[in-house]
Amino acid sequence: MLRILLVNDTDKPIGTLRDALAGAGYTVIAEVDGAAALLRAVEEQRPDVVIIDTESPSRDTLEQLAVMGHAAPRPVVMFADQREPQAIRDAVGAGVTAYVVDEVTADRLAPIIEVALARFEEETRLRKRLADAEQRLAERKLIDRAKGLLMDKRGLSETEAYELLRRQAMRQGERIAEVARQLIAMVDLLG
Amino acid sequence: MHDHNPSIPDAPEKTVLRLGYVPLSDCAPLVVAQRLGLGERYGIEIELHRQPSWAAVRDKLISGELDAAHALYGLVYGVELGLGGPQAPMAVLMTLNHNGQAITLSDRLARQLASGRTLRELVAEAPRPLVFAQTFPTGTHAMWLYYWLAAQGIHPLTDVKSVVIPPPQMSEALAAGLLDGFCAGEPWHAVAEAEGVGRTVVASGAIWPDHPEKVLACRRDFVTRYPRTARALTMTLLDACRWLDEPTHRFDAAGWLSGPTCIGRARSLILPRLLGGNGLPGAPLRFFDDGAVNYPYRSDGLWFLSQYRRWGLLRGSADLPAIAAAINQTALYREAATALGIAVPDDERSCVLIDGVSWNSRDPVAYADSFALRALELA
Repeated sequence: MLRILLVNDTDKPIGTLRDALAGAGYTVIAEVDGAAALLRAVEEQRPDVVIIDTESPSRDTLEQLAVMGHAAPRPVVMFADQREPQAIRDAVGAGVTAYVVDEVTADRLAPIIEVALARFEEETRLRKRLADAEQRLAERKLIDRAKGLLMDKRGLSETEAYELLRRQAMRQGERIAEVARQLIAMVDLLG
Repeated sequence: MHDHNPSIPDAPEKTVLRLGYVPLSDCAPLVVAQRLGLGERYGIEIELHRQPSWAAVRDKLISGELDAAHALYGLVYGVELGLGGPQAPMAVLMTLNHNGQAITLSDRLARQLASGRTLRELVAEAPRPLVFAQTFPTGTHAMWLYYWLAAQGIHPLTDVKSVVIPPPQMSEALAAGLLDGFCAGEPWHAVAEAEGVGRTVVASGAIWPDHPEKVLACRRDFVTRYPRTARALTMTLLDACRWLDEPTHRFDAAGWLSGPTCIGRARSLILPRLLGGNGLPGAPLRFFDDGAVNYPYRSDGLWFLSQYRRWGLLRGSADLPAIAAAINQTALYREAATALGIAVPDDERSCVLIDGVSWNSRDPVAYADSFALRALELA
């Protein structure tokens, strides 16, 4: 079940959402009224979604969490005066996570929470893909360096050097990049 | 909103401008411009809109709900790069102030520091990671705090916890023991000291003497669509900054800032530090200094980009000088300043920061990579 944190620190009646959300099958795990309480709730209770007013002073606190990633960024749904659905869609498209219109009922909120979550998962997937690509690039560099060392020290051709690394990796049950890393460390050690 | 009068060639394309600000002592230039009707001379009228967060300033600049705003230098650069939030091409029209920020520690930590211990020792011995707050992930206060900690051998991302707390809530968090220190603007350091929960230990003007702080920010397409308006706005704010350089004028400004629709705190908390006194060494808050404050140096923007790289917010091989050149509207500023007889510098700036390292903007990547303490490399 989706766990929701409400940030209730402006004069908009976010607190009144509690019942509507429960009715729609969500669990409101906490309601906080300031940045310090928000930080504690995110750290200790790990909500799936945070609902906050666009005019809340605590928004920058969530920005930091999203940038630092040490308390995994989570979808934030915001409460705005926007009545124009296009304006909401534009805001979501621009990367502001999601907006909710004035009169909030559970059936209006549910699709927005779903969109925010879908978007979050998409971003997480993209970030992971980028991290994987960077990882692969770093591994490729390690393997190239190890190949260079083997070619240099053992007079092997590039293909032979790679073959040697590959066979060693299979024998050890390790990834080729790991074997390359060990080889480089060993050569560094022996000078 | 097109009320351009074609019979006057220099008339601004847009005459009523919505400006956003965050209630801090250094939003003074905007308040002064509005109070004194300084835009009238240039055919514009300024409407001020107080904002509860920097995220709100950003969103409203992007959506067009605000035409321009008093913004953290780093906020503009963060939005240009889309760091942790929406991306949009942004512009810095001018710098609004130098210096005037600070770092305050909890009373307990400040006492230990005063007894001769180093902050590094205190961080290492603490039973839990010390928590330091700033105001926005890509903002100036984050960068001053990180730089200051790193200059003492403390890694801001791994040795301590870095969080954001809205400045008006800093005192309460210090008093509750949830926070060990914070970097923000005034009057929130004066408030923490007056409430007896913290002590200001360093002025930002000692971390980087004459560092850039707040800027006049807008979207880049605002400048291209309304170039005469952007120039008129820059001239208006230059007049406001010049007016604020006269100390007696700051008495009036402090009164306006203290009002309930602005900061809403006693004038006695705002005035002393607006006049430049927090009793600590370091360059004082400046708004004009014969225009030396206001030129949007590309080197200033490049410094923020170098620190984003240093702290892992910006990876890869972006063309940093091109980014700064696109954001900082030096040509427009030159026109505005020249029309007012204000001197414009020929060169970028060079500076020496608190750790003795000099910054000359020639190779921001090498500069970023030269620091011993920086974000860890990926595997």
